[in-house]
Amino acid sequence: MNGRRFAIIVFIIAIMFGTVVLVGISKNTPLVIITSMIATTIAVATPLTLGALCGLYCERAGVVNIGIEGTMLGAAFFGWLASIYMNTIFHFPAMPSLIVGVMAAVLTGGLFALLHAVLSITFKVDQIIGGTVINILASGITGFLNRQMFFGAGSVFHGNIPDSPGVLPTIRIPLLADIPVIGRVFIQQPIAWSAIALVIITQIVIFHTRWGLRTRAVGEHPRAADTVGINVIRMRYFNVIIGGLLAGLAGAYFTLESISSFQPDMTNGRGFIALAAMIFGNWTPFGAWSAALVFGAAQALQINLQFFRTLIPPQLAVLQNSYVVGLAPYLLTMVILTGLIGKTIPPAADGKPYEK
Amino acid sequence: MKKFYTLMAVVLLASMFLSACGGAAPAANGTPTAPDCTKATVFCVGDVTDVGHVDDKSFNQSTWEGVQQAKANGTADWIQFIETSDSKDYAKNIDTFAQAGYKVIVTTGFNLTDPTYAAAKQYPNILFIGVDQGLQKDANHPDWPLPNLVALIFHEDQSGFLVGALASMMSKSHNIGGVFGTDAVPAVWRYGEGYRAGAAYEDKKNGTKTTITNVYHNDVGFNLTFTDPTWGATTAQSMIDKGTDVIFGGGGITGNGAVDKTASDKVLAIGVDTDQYYTLPEADAYLLTSAMKPIPAPLGVLIGLAKAGKFPTNGQYYGASGFAPYHDVASKVPANVDAEMQSLLKALTGGTLQTGVPDAKPQ
Repeated sequence: MNGRRFAIIVFIIAIMFGTVVLVGISKNTPLVIITSMIATTIAVATPLTLGALCGLYCERAGVVNIGIEGTMLGAAFFGWLASIYMNTIFHFPAMPSLIVGVMAAVLTGGLFALLHAVLSITFKVDQIIGGTVINILASGITGFLNRQMFFGAGSVFHGNIPDSPGVLPTIRIPLLADIPVIGRVFIQQPIAWSAIALVIITQIVIFHTRWGLRTRAVGEHPRAADTVGINVIRMRYFNVIIGGLLAGLAGAYFTLESISSFQPDMTNGRGFIALAAMIFGNWTPFGAWSAALVFGAAQALQINLQFFRTLIPPQLAVLQNSYVVGLAPYLLTMVILTGLIGKTIPPAADGKPYEK
Repeated sequence: MKKFYTLMAVVLLASMFLSACGGAAPAANGTPTAPDCTKATVFCVGDVTDVGHVDDKSFNQSTWEGVQQAKANGTADWIQFIETSDSKDYAKNIDTFAQAGYKVIVTTGFNLTDPTYAAAKQYPNILFIGVDQGLQKDANHPDWPLPNLVALIFHEDQSGFLVGALASMMSKSHNIGGVFGTDAVPAVWRYGEGYRAGAAYEDKKNGTKTTITNVYHNDVGFNLTFTDPTWGATTAQSMIDKGTDVIFGGGGITGNGAVDKTASDKVLAIGVDTDQYYTLPEADAYLLTSAMKPIPAPLGVLIGLAKAGKFPTNGQYYGASGFAPYHDVASKVPANVDAEMQSLLKALTGGTLQTGVPDAKPQ
């Protein structure tokens, strides 16, 4: 993540925010609009950031993981299920139930990652297939259990959906959150905060610790790493599982932070967008995060241009078309990928099983 | 290595089995085996869902409930559903029922319009009910109306009008919003425009000025637009941040996300299709009402007509539209607002009041 890339990303986000401010200025003040845009950006970016970090740990250690989508979905379901069980069966108060839910989600992510690790590291199966297995498996298991438990008279809950303990409460940054209007940015839910913290932590871990150095060595040149005494298999296992825990946290975002219910296949492709964000970010934490923020800002752009549709001047009537506006995130993706970011370089041993 | 391949095969098979186990009719106590539907005396009804699941708390679910009612009241001897997992499989799934000798095949949703029309032509002896599949005689459908195909359709604009009127009367900031799936589906577009028209009607009557913002999830394909609750939640959040205080979530699971988020932010939410008080209990405390197009009752009637040999031949059948009770929010709805809603309902269904919304989005 060099200065030039940073400048490009800031510039793109500024253009998107500026467009909406200009369009909506007669209805809301610029401050309100920007605050709302930032809030949307962070909300959209949270699961993408965590998913991208999952991919980053895996690929830095040389394991391609396209099962992030499935890992998040599985974690979303089991975390939600755990919170419901704690709340309605064991009568825990809402807050402890939610915490147990988050822990269950993180653990589920770890278990899915363990499956991927066993398949791709121990059994040396093609890593794309291993990831695909996880995606199909997660969709199947969650859909099946969701139906068995909550749908129809013959299900575990006899068709009555139990009350969920709600969503994780917001955390305010003292003082900053008290600023009028813009303070809203500093009131976020815990997983959104954790995602930002984990970006910084990952940056330190990968680039400034012995663990990170070994991880990168294993992902770049496992044989060399092996000859100096690094246990390649062990490093890969641990990094894939750490990634899984992060994807599990991303899963918790869907059912414990964003909304309080589970819907079949609700991750809706975000695992793959996270993977794309990681690649745009050139396998660096800050790069992945900024790519996730660009996706978030593009999403905020298209929501807000629709919101202010009636205020769009007639010269720009094309922007009143929600299909055209809806293209924005994808067009931007292509522009950023092909034109602005330049060449990205994956770890050299990415996707190659290690044979002693 | 051999052991590994066995393991791999088991995992793969298990995952495929789990993702594909849509067929079994749940709650069919005591009668687990299917009868021979090809016999003339056995009346079998099949339901092909749109992409998604039969427990989506929305459209697929209410259609399946209607089919289940036909079983419960003895009209159908056997019912079964196939969940469509990919929009390329519509025709194949309909075919599966046709080959098995089903007497009535119900297909759910606008996206199945053309596959259903094609199947109805191919199998003239099977009766088809297309839920939400408004058709006209045109170049692509030259033989409409077919004697064995009836579209079960609704005046969504009327339900949308009703909740729009209510939203306009209940909003304190005079900013109301709607979060929808894609407006390429005419029913969704009619909900949105009806919502607008209803709010405008009450504005004119009460001298208020309400801003209505409808946001559609047009940035993804048909397979994703109705199944993205997180997008719905984010969009609702963005509206609330800018002072919107009543939000209509219309569009399957995407809309559910908006309703859920809106209610958890303690802002009034409006559900869609069914009375979502029962399908989204998370939102109950702030669920103002739902724009209803109850599918089960008219679908049951149609299946009954099919069995009795009185299947409509004009190609369409309109179900009643309406709005759901206020439930937990009832104490916040003033008596005069409720009275106005009741008179609007009467006027709309009686035909004395028109919403002014055309059937399809003007090109």
